Amino acid sequence: MPSTPQPGFFNLWSALTPPLRAGQFRLDARVDLDPGAAPTSLPVETGQTFFTVDAPRFALPAGQLLSTYPPANGNGAYSERLPQVVLKRRTLPWERAPGTGADAALPWLALVVIAQGEGTLSPEVDVAQCVTPGVALAGAADVTQGVYLEVTKTVVDAVFPTKEDLPLLCHVRQVDLSDTELALGDDDGWMAVVLANRLPWPASADPTTTGGSDQPAAAPVQYLACLVNLEGQLAALPDVAEDEVGTFVPVDAIAHFDAYADAFADPDSLAMAQPAAGPPQAGPGTPRPAIVARSTLSDTWATAPAAAAAPTALGIDAGRAVREIMGRPWRTPAAAVTAEQTYRFPVLTHWQFTVDGDPSFEGLMQALDVALLGSLPDLDPQAPPAPRPAPDVAATGHVGLAHLTRRGDQATAWYRGPLAPRPAKRDSSTATDGPLPVAHASDQLRRVTPDGREDLTYAAAFEIGRLLALSQPSVVAALMRWRAEQFGAARAAELAAQTVAGTSLLGGPPAITDVAGLGRLVGGALLGRIDADPAATVGPRRPLADPGAPIAGLTGDLEAVVATGLGLDIDALRAQAGQVGVVDALANTAVPMADAPAGPLLEGPDLTTLRSAAEAIAGRMATQAAAGAAPLAGAAPLAGAAPLAGAEAGARAQPDALDRLLTELGP
Amino acid sequence: MTDAALLTGAMAVQATLTASATLGGSLQSQPPDPRTGPRVVPNDLADWLAALRLLAAVPFGYLVPDAELLPQESARFCYLDRAWTDALVQGAMSVGTVTTADHAQLEAVYPYVRDEVDEAERLARVAGHDPAPLGPAGPVTGLLLRSRAVAGWPGLHVRAYSELVPDDAMLPDSDPRRLRLLRMERLAPAVLFVLIDGVPRIVHVEEPRQGLQFGVRPPDGDPADTTRQGLVPPRDINTGEPLVPMDDKTSWVPVRFRPNAPGVLNLRKTRDALLAVPGTNMGTDVDSAEFAIQLLRYPYRQVFGPTGPQTDPETNPSGTGTKAGWIQVFRPRIAVPELFAEFTKGTS
Repeated sequence: MPSTPQPGFFNLWSALTPPLRAGQFRLDARVDLDPGAAPTSLPVETGQTFFTVDAPRFALPAGQLLSTYPPANGNGAYSERLPQVVLKRRTLPWERAPGTGADAALPWLALVVIAQGEGTLSPEVDVAQCVTPGVALAGAADVTQGVYLEVTKTVVDAVFPTKEDLPLLCHVRQVDLSDTELALGDDDGWMAVVLANRLPWPASADPTTTGGSDQPAAAPVQYLACLVNLEGQLAALPDVAEDEVGTFVPVDAIAHFDAYADAFADPDSLAMAQPAAGPPQAGPGTPRPAIVARSTLSDTWATAPAAAAAPTALGIDAGRAVREIMGRPWRTPAAAVTAEQTYRFPVLTHWQFTVDGDPSFEGLMQALDVALLGSLPDLDPQAPPAPRPAPDVAATGHVGLAHLTRRGDQATAWYRGPLAPRPAKRDSSTATDGPLPVAHASDQLRRVTPDGREDLTYAAAFEIGRLLALSQPSVVAALMRWRAEQFGAARAAELAAQTVAGTSLLGGPPAITDVAGLGRLVGGALLGRIDADPAATVGPRRPLADPGAPIAGLTGDLEAVVATGLGLDIDALRAQAGQVGVVDALANTAVPMADAPAGPLLEGPDLTTLRSAAEAIAGRMATQAAAGAAPLAGAAPLAGAAPLAGAEAGARAQPDALDRLLTELGP
Repeated sequence: MTDAALLTGAMAVQATLTASATLGGSLQSQPPDPRTGPRVVPNDLADWLAALRLLAAVPFGYLVPDAELLPQESARFCYLDRAWTDALVQGAMSVGTVTTADHAQLEAVYPYVRDEVDEAERLARVAGHDPAPLGPAGPVTGLLLRSRAVAGWPGLHVRAYSELVPDDAMLPDSDPRRLRLLRMERLAPAVLFVLIDGVPRIVHVEEPRQGLQFGVRPPDGDPADTTRQGLVPPRDINTGEPLVPMDDKTSWVPVRFRPNAPGVLNLRKTRDALLAVPGTNMGTDVDSAEFAIQLLRYPYRQVFGPTGPQTDPETNPSGTGTKAGWIQVFRPRIAVPELFAEFTKGTS
C-alpha cells in the first residue's frame, strides 16, 4: 500500500478495480495430489460453494455519499466548477460491468447534470421500470423500488458523457484521515470521485427583460445532478464526431420537451390521456402546462409543504421524502409530450441546485470598493440624484446625525462608531483637565466640538454598554455579586485588622488585603505583623554565626605570632611574598626543626649516679623477693622456691618498661 | 534588627495565597486558563466584558451609523477606537451603582478592570494548542466586508499578516507574522465583520475550501461577456505545479465544448489539447487521475495590500503600483491641526 499522504496533500488514482465484480459466483474446491507420491485418484468429493458479491445498483446506501458539489439545494455561481460526488467506497464505480467485452472495465456510474426541462425524474417505482423498456438487467436488484431519469435522445446526445469520457470522469482520491478538510469523514482515507462532464451555466440574458442595460443579468437555472447507472445501456451514449468543437451555446437553446409541450394547443388533452392527474407543476418562468405526475404515492396529490407530507406517516424514511420533494420540478413526463425516443436510467442519488448569474468569487472580490470606513463612494456625476443626500461625514469618521435633544430641540450631533478611519487616542485628554475620570453617567462623556455641535460618540457608547449589560440578568447578577464580594472582602479585612489589633502582642494595622477566609486573613495579618517588627514580638534574631572564644595571650600582630611560633623569619617571608606571592613564599620556606641527638642520651657523672641508684633499687628489690615478700607479684605470698621461679619466668617472658630502660642504658 | 533577611514573612504569605489560588483553580476541572495569580475581576465577568469590548451584541447601527458608509460590494478597513470600547465597558460597569460608595468603589477598581479586560480580550478565539498571547492590548483593526461573496461563499478564510508575505503564502496559525483574529462573524448574510489583533500590512481573503474542486477559469476580459469559454493551466502531474504563469492566461489550455450542448465538455478534444502541452509528464494517454489534476481548481485568494513592486508607504506614500491601494488607505489622512481648523471653520 502506498504511503499515506501528508495533511494538505492527496494522491489521485485513475481506477481501483475490485477482483470480483458484483454478481453470483460459484466456488469449486477440488483436491489434486501429486500422482507420483500417492494413488492417482482419491475419493474426495468436489466442494461447491455459491456466493454473491453485492454492490449497490438502484440506490446508493446511506453513508456512501460523502460530499456533493455543488451543495444540495445550493444557490450560487457554480458555473466554473464541475459538479462532483464523492463516494465512500473507493471501488464503487468499478464494481459492476456496464457492458461486455472491453466495455466491462468502464465505470458503470456517471454523474449527469441536466437543466430544468431537459429530463424527467420519476417517483419511486418498481426497479423493473427503471431502465429503458427493452433492456433487461441480469442479476438481483438491491432494492425493490428505485428512481429513474427519463431523457430524450436529443438530451442524451447533448449532455451524457461518451463511452470514451467515462473512464476520465471517475478517479480515486487518497488523503490523510487526520486532514478533516479533505477526509470528509471517511473511514479509511480512500474515496471514489465521480465528476460530471458539464459546467452548469446560467441561462443567457434575455435582452427583453433586462431593459437594455449594459450588463445583462443572466437568469438563474435549476439543475439536477443524477448519479446514474449505465448498465446495459452503453449503446445509448452519444458518439461525438472527432472534429467538432463547440463554442458557446445558451443553456436554453437545447431542444427540450417543454418546446414540444408548448406545441400542444390544449394541455388538458395531456392530462386526460393519463389514468391519474397530478397537480400542476409550477415552475419558474413561463407557465407550464398541467401535466400528469405519475406516482404511486398519495402525497404527490398534496400541495402541503414537505413537513406535512404523507410519506412520514407512510413509514418512508425522511431522506426519501426529501428527495421526493426535491425531484418534483423534474416530474414532467417526457415520454408523454414527445414522440422522440426516450431513455430511462436508474438514478442512485440525485440533488438539485440553482446556478444564478452572479459573477464569480474572483469577479466579486476584484470589483470591491476598498477604502477606510468613513469614506464615501465616489459619486457618478451621471447618476440620478440619490433619494436622500449623502451623510455629513467628517474626515475623522464622525457622522452628523439628527439629534432630538432632551428639551425637544431639533439639532444635529456628531457620532462616530467604534470603527474609526484613524487611530484614536485611548485616553482622551485635553491640556486643561487631564485624563478623564471613570464615567458614572453617559452625560459625563458628552463633548462639544469647536463648531458648536455636540459629539455624542462616547455618550452613546456608554449608554449602549449599560443597556447591553442590563439586557442580560446573568451579567447584572454577576456584577452585583462581585461588588458584594468586594465590599465583603473589605469588611473582612477590617474585621481581621481589629482582631489582630486587639491582641496585646501586636500593634498597628495589618497590611494584608487579599482575602479568602477570615481565619486565613487573621493568620496572614498575624504573620505580617510579626514580620514587620519581629524584635518586638518574638525576640531578637539570633545571628547567623557565633563568634569564637578569645584566646589568651594572642595579642599583637597575628602573622608575627604565628611565624614566631613556627620559627620563621617573618620579615624574610614578607619580602619573598612580595616577589613570588604568599603561597609560593610559604611553599619555599622550610620550617626549622630540632635535630635528633647523635650520641647516647646520658653521659658522665649523671649516668654513673643514675646507674648506681638503679642498682641499689634492684638490689633492694631482690632482697625483698628473697625474703618471701613479693609485692611486685601482686598475689598472695607463696611458700618455697616456686614463687621465685615463677617471678623470674614472668619477668623473662614479658620485659617491662624498666627492662627496656636498663637495656638501653646498659653498655 | 538590621540584618537583611532572605525571605520575609510578607513574601511567604504572598506565596501561600498565590499557591492556594492556583491550586484551587486547578482542582476545578476547567480548561487551562493562562491567567494565573490573583485577579480583581472574576474570569467570567472579564470574559463577558472582553466580548463586549469586541463589540459583541452591539447593534449594527452603532457600528456603522449610515448605510452610505458601507455600500454594497465594498470592503472597509478601520481602527478600533479604544476610547469608545472603554466607554462601553464603563457603561456596563455602571449598572447597579447607586450610592457614592458604589461610585468610589468603581473608581478604585476600574484601573484593574481595564487592565484585566485588556488581557481577557486577547484571549478571545485562542485555540487550545496555541500559546496564549499575554501582555497589554495593542491597537486593534477591523474589516467590514459587504458583498454577495459573503452570502454566497459562507466560511470565507480571512488571514492578516503583519509583514508582507507572498500572495500564495500558506503560513500556519503559529507563525509570528500572522496576526490573530479577535473576532470574525457574519453580522448579516452579506456582511462580514473581522477584528484583527494588530495593524496588518496585508490581508488575504480566500474562498472556502470545500474539499477539492475541479473546474475551469474564464478568460480575462469583460466579465459580462456571455460567450463563455474555459481555460485550465496545464500542470505537471507529478507535482501538481502549473507549467504556465498563473496570472497570464494567454498560455493556458482552452477547454473544448461539445457542439450544441451548453456547458458540456468535449473531453476528447480537451484531452488532446492537454497532451499537446510539453512537460506535463502524462505520457501518451490521459487517465482519469491525470485529467483530474489538470482540472484542479484551487480556491481563489484576494490579497488586500501592495502588489507588484512592494512599495514602502513611507517612501512611496502615493502607493503607486498597488492594486487594492490599501497601504495608503490604511494611513490616517488627516492631522489634528487640520481637524481643528476644520471644526473651527464655521465658528470663527
